[in-house]
Amino acid sequence: MFTPAVLAQISVDGIGLSAIYILIALGFTLLFGIMRVVNFAHGAFAMLGGYALYFLYGNMGLPYLVAAPVAALAVATVALILERIVYRFFYQKMFQSMIGLLGLDMALMFTAVILWNAEERSVPPATDTLVQFGNVIFPAQKLIIAGIAAAALLAFYVFTRYSRYGLAMRAAAQDVSIAEAQGVNSTFIYKLAFFIAIFMAALAGGFYAQTYALSPFVGEPQLMIAFVVVILGGMGSIPGVALGGLLLGFANSFLGTFYGNATSVFVSFGAVILLLIFRPWGLLGAKEA
Amino acid sequence: MSKQSAGNSPALGKFDAGGRVPSNATAKRGNGAFTWPAAVAALLAVLIALPLASDEKFVMSVAVTTFITAIAAASLHLVVRTGHVTLGHAAFMGIGAYASVIGTMTFHLPFALSVVAAFIVPAALALVVGPIVLRLTGKYFVLVTFLFGEIVRMIFVNWSSVTGGSNGIFGVPAPSPLFASTVPFYYLALGFLVVILAFIARLLNSEVGRAIDAIRESEPLARCSGVPVLRTKVMIFVLACGIVGVAGALQAHFVRYIDPTSFSLVQSLNLVVINVIGGMYTLVGPLVGTVFVVLLPEFLRGYVELQHVFFGILIILVMAFFPGGIANMGTLFRTNPFERFRSARNR
Repeated sequence: MFTPAVLAQISVDGIGLSAIYILIALGFTLLFGIMRVVNFAHGAFAMLGGYALYFLYGNMGLPYLVAAPVAALAVATVALILERIVYRFFYQKMFQSMIGLLGLDMALMFTAVILWNAEERSVPPATDTLVQFGNVIFPAQKLIIAGIAAAALLAFYVFTRYSRYGLAMRAAAQDVSIAEAQGVNSTFIYKLAFFIAIFMAALAGGFYAQTYALSPFVGEPQLMIAFVVVILGGMGSIPGVALGGLLLGFANSFLGTFYGNATSVFVSFGAVILLLIFRPWGLLGAKEA
Repeated sequence: MSKQSAGNSPALGKFDAGGRVPSNATAKRGNGAFTWPAAVAALLAVLIALPLASDEKFVMSVAVTTFITAIAAASLHLVVRTGHVTLGHAAFMGIGAYASVIGTMTFHLPFALSVVAAFIVPAALALVVGPIVLRLTGKYFVLVTFLFGEIVRMIFVNWSSVTGGSNGIFGVPAPSPLFASTVPFYYLALGFLVVILAFIARLLNSEVGRAIDAIRESEPLARCSGVPVLRTKVMIFVLACGIVGVAGALQAHFVRYIDPTSFSLVQSLNLVVINVIGGMYTLVGPLVGTVFVVLLPEFLRGYVELQHVFFGILIILVMAFFPGGIANMGTLFRTNPFERFRSARNR
């Protein structure tokens, strides 16, 4: 059962899943770290990303490498309207944001049901070719997803680490009022961080729809993924997201292969609950006062 | 629902970053012709007389659903009053429902005993889980209860030898041949509602109730004043989970069928929505919220999705502008609404 070929297969699956998980959770942790907003509508934006990819790639037939980023850009741009009329009222108000954004999640989910009905659809994969490495065979689709996700994560890292705006974003995450006193335009930084977060969620939502299926209700499992990853790594911690995403991706791939999906969900949720009880700030997060 | 419990609507507390002044809108309305005991008595008289006016099956079942939801929402209100919002309350409702159904169908217990089981089983689980999870605060508590609710739902789905899996259990018996028809069941549910609400109102109005409010306002301060914080929170949590289990049992024996989807996250969310829309800091809040959330959709049948969109938007509006909920709307008219809008936006 534990032959090298099987283990290699599991690793490839694990990398594919981890890429999606990290993309979803990164935006979630970014919104929490900078604006102190618990974005319960995060899964809904991922779901919208899935529909955007469905229409641009599945229906209109744009080339995949154009359709995937454009779909995510479209969702993030439209989401800026929601930033203006909903999110802005919840910045720095953690409790109200949780409940209020649950409302937004409900509204978006059922708007999707009204617009596109509740039936499940599938988004075609980017390519049907199979790649063979020794005696491991896997679809090239997984490589493409992991590649795009890696590119997005690298771009995000370079942006926050080396650009002026990235610096301003990190400053706002540490202390908004002091950052403002240094001349950081917090309204703009919030908007920027929101845009980036939703872009990544929508991109991940597209990949998720290709890997599993697409319906107005796929937002809920993705929201749960974001929760689990972010709790594992620590709320607000960006390296924590990478660690949590890899842990959850590989755990799901391993347990899912050998013991079935139900076991894998039980184990990951159980682990998270234990972690929350003994170390609520997560593996890499900072302890709060 | 006595005068004080409605009136001591406290400050919005640690949730309100802006530190808005607490409002006593409901208490102020108490003077003059309007008094709470009279209002409660009048409402009760109307509810007792309702089946005489219309014993149509539709009206009766909507009323029973409202009563059961009101019990569940009021029990969540107890937890909310301690400053915790749980997203796993429907899981305990489900545990109560399954306990009662399995009690009557597998062990052939009489309904009275199975209702007791529906109280004890979720309460016992809450007693085990509570001391661990209630140490967490704010977002961590919300997240743990969210995951807990999912785990319980998955147990309902996967433990099919006992719970019937995702098909659920059909043919749940009525409490007794008498309560098989709707009008007697209406009075049964009304009886449960009145007793439970009276108990909760009395509890919130007692010394324990003041301890609860103190814990919500500031745990360290409450501890310094000699309130046993964790013990009080666990006690309230256990009680709330037991009560919601009874609500679950009533629902199971009324609908005569249970399945895991009736106790999923959506139902937990519904209970939170009821508390938020109605108002989180008085017992009247969840009752107003229940009437709003259960009755309104009955008039909008056929537009189920639109209702959800509508409620979603309503929650956003309530949380952004009136965190006190409908029961606290009085404040709205005493402060300039435009001022309120601006202060909400600038914070």
